[in-house]
Amino acid sequence: MTSSNDPEDVDPVSSRARTKLAWTRAAIAFAALGVAVLKTNVAAGLTVIALTPLVWHIGRLSQGGPGGAGGKSRPRQLLLISVAVAAVAVTVLVLVILGHGRSSGFHPPRG
Amino acid sequence: MGEATDQASERSGPGTDDAGAEPDARFTFANERTFLAWNRTALALVVAGLGIVQLLPPFPGVPWGRHLIGVPLIALGAVVAVAGYAEWILNQRALRRGQPLPRSLLPVILAVTITSIALLSAIVLLLSAIR
Repeated sequence: MTSSNDPEDVDPVSSRARTKLAWTRAAIAFAALGVAVLKTNVAAGLTVIALTPLVWHIGRLSQGGPGGAGGKSRPRQLLLISVAVAAVAVTVLVLVILGHGRSSGFHPPRG
Repeated sequence: MGEATDQASERSGPGTDDAGAEPDARFTFANERTFLAWNRTALALVVAGLGIVQLLPPFPGVPWGRHLIGVPLIALGAVVAVAGYAEWILNQRALRRGQPLPRSLLPVILAVTITSIALLSAIVLLLSAIR
């Protein structure tokens, strides 16, 4: 599992930094989905966008510090993320099936 | 020592049974990044499904075509989010016990479902071209 050529062995700090960046990407992806949902249903979209700081905050806790685990496993916080993503997916599924914000599609201007 | 006991009891959740020892922080971080990557995949699948239903113009002659392609993608997103957490638990448990990491089922699920949706899309396109 370990290799002397692995950058993580040379610089263990990079592992922490990469995890922080992964959390940032996850929060951005969450916000992007919120904006996409906003087009279908404003209330659902605003709720998803409002949840984004929570995702970002849980990511911050992974870095250690006050109240943070700092490289320790934390099943409850990660469960929260999975439940949030799955709940948003189910909400979008219901919105799409019920036909909320049904559109005739995007029509590019014809020139 | 008391603090260490508190931390141990705090961590004893579904993913961290008491067997084994807390793994190297780098492995825990790596497992967490894999979990996050699966969750971003789930979010991307939901956005893709939503985009297909909301942004594509209806297929001529196949009014349910957009839903046929988009709904499975969104459902797959929900499945990937939950399965990603289950895999994180199994991996963390293996790390704690110093065992080999379990084989992941998610790539197979993802590949089979996306291939099916691609074939479905081709059929919908052909049907709408015929009409």
